Amino acid sequence: MKNDPDNTQTPEGRTTRPAAGSSHSPFSILHSTLGRVAAGPRYGRIWLACVRYSVVRAMMFRFDFIMWSIVELLWMGVNVALIAVIYEHTDSIAGWNKYQMMLLIGTSMIIQRLMMGFFWSNIFELGRNVRSGNFDFFLAQPGNVLFMVSTRKLDLDSLMNVFAAIALVVYSLWQLGVAPTAWQVVTYVLLLVCSLAISYSFILLAVSLTFWIIKTEGIEGSYFSLTEFSRLPREAVKSVIINVAFVYVIPVVVVSNIPANTLLRGISPAHVLWLAGAAAVWFSMAVFVFNRGLRRYASASS
Amino acid sequence: MIRSLNKYRHVFLVGLQSNLIYRWNFLIRASFSAFHLVVVFMLWSAAYEGKTEIGGFNVAQTMTYFIALMVIRFFISAFNEDYQISEEIRNGLINQFLLKPIDYFIYRLSIFGAARFVSGLLAIVPLLVALPFVRDYVELPFGEGEAWRLYFGLPALAMSAVIQFTIAFCFGMLTFWFLEIQSFVVLSYAIESLLAGQIFPLDLLPRPLFIFSQYLPYYYQMYFPVAILTGRLNDPAGAAQGLMLQFAWMIILLTIARLLWTRGLRRHTAVGG
Repeated sequence: MKNDPDNTQTPEGRTTRPAAGSSHSPFSILHSTLGRVAAGPRYGRIWLACVRYSVVRAMMFRFDFIMWSIVELLWMGVNVALIAVIYEHTDSIAGWNKYQMMLLIGTSMIIQRLMMGFFWSNIFELGRNVRSGNFDFFLAQPGNVLFMVSTRKLDLDSLMNVFAAIALVVYSLWQLGVAPTAWQVVTYVLLLVCSLAISYSFILLAVSLTFWIIKTEGIEGSYFSLTEFSRLPREAVKSVIINVAFVYVIPVVVVSNIPANTLLRGISPAHVLWLAGAAAVWFSMAVFVFNRGLRRYASASS
Repeated sequence: MIRSLNKYRHVFLVGLQSNLIYRWNFLIRASFSAFHLVVVFMLWSAAYEGKTEIGGFNVAQTMTYFIALMVIRFFISAFNEDYQISEEIRNGLINQFLLKPIDYFIYRLSIFGAARFVSGLLAIVPLLVALPFVRDYVELPFGEGEAWRLYFGLPALAMSAVIQFTIAFCFGMLTFWFLEIQSFVVLSYAIESLLAGQIFPLDLLPRPLFIFSQYLPYYYQMYFPVAILTGRLNDPAGAAQGLMLQFAWMIILLTIARLLWTRGLRRHTAVGG
């Protein structure tokens, strides 16, 4: 918050002990408290301004917006086609039937499209900006650097496709004849938020390496390689090495499996705790590494 | 004739050098493909659980298909040729070719050849690393009386490479009409990966769809040569007919590329230099 004008206290305000009799301090405390409360809506307003900007931009390049929406829909179709073709020849993949598998694919797509819609290009540009020195622009902005970096723009075409992914999940539930309770749906949504946090943290960590190693082009691509794992049922992971690497260390298999199982087989408190814990650990780690990197940043002169 | 070949030989050699600069990118890409292969392996092993065959092929034959696909990709696939061409048009770099006795298509094809030579050699490194792990799953159909696979497979591979490059070239040509071609490229990439058999072997499609796919150019840009070499296509007569269709598609695509180039140049205004 060091760049936040609403929260800056005068040097006097910081050095003054809130001793009794000091007429200054109650106001100062009140002021800073109000400042902190006001910061919430203020960030909300900044975010809304970014949303507005993104919508205007999408409407300016309407053709591009439509093309990209179709592109992403088609890629989703490719994944659905793979599952449909495999189930032409078998009835079960690691104990999951066709529509359970579709629900898993839909869930992993919701996470991926949310990730791309809200954060991917922002974080991708973070890497580029650190290399080019344009990152200075964000440091000069009056707000939390990570917040300003992460929310600069939205990809509306990806967000449009979140609805297509949700439709796939709903359709699969309907085909399965499963009617989840309200609690299951709420837990599912909260778990998706945790999964989104894990994905965000993963890419932020990868891109933060740019602060140390300048040449990191293509490292963001690892995200797309890894999301392939989240389209697999956990039961299909037989190898111990893969299990350790992609279930426990990088929880890329469980980010989709735990939410999907919540809808299909009910809430498992242990699994919910696992995913929430993983989200907390990954997010703190990413913020920590980002801030350490920030201290190393020395701009790039041209 | 010899002199003009000599010209493109130099382009090839320059292409070799400039592509060696990107050796790390190719190696990283090859390693990411290894992740992809792990996922493919787990998915299909799970699908084969309690089964000896899917669509008439056992698990080893199917895995061989995917491994061959991955390796051959580095030898014949167009990766970012469309973007490179698009960039050269936008930056005005193509202007120099309009004044010199160099054919832009052959020039780019020579560079493509050099790039695939480098990436193909580099793909061998991760392949050698992976080989001990996947050896049990590689089942190549080379025995007595299978020599026809090579006679048909190698020309098919060469034509696939030309088809892949020509499709990329055509998408690059779109830059004359549109500022941004990225969405077109990714759109066609989705269609290509599906219909060229990169997502699943095309023979697993329902019969009518499989037959329909054989009349599309995508079938010949990947699935066809790989199917001959890995034993998913087992009758020489069918392969001969396929070769003919592949040749026809290659000619059609080359014609379209030429047409787009001459039409595009009419719209082109040389900027910069």
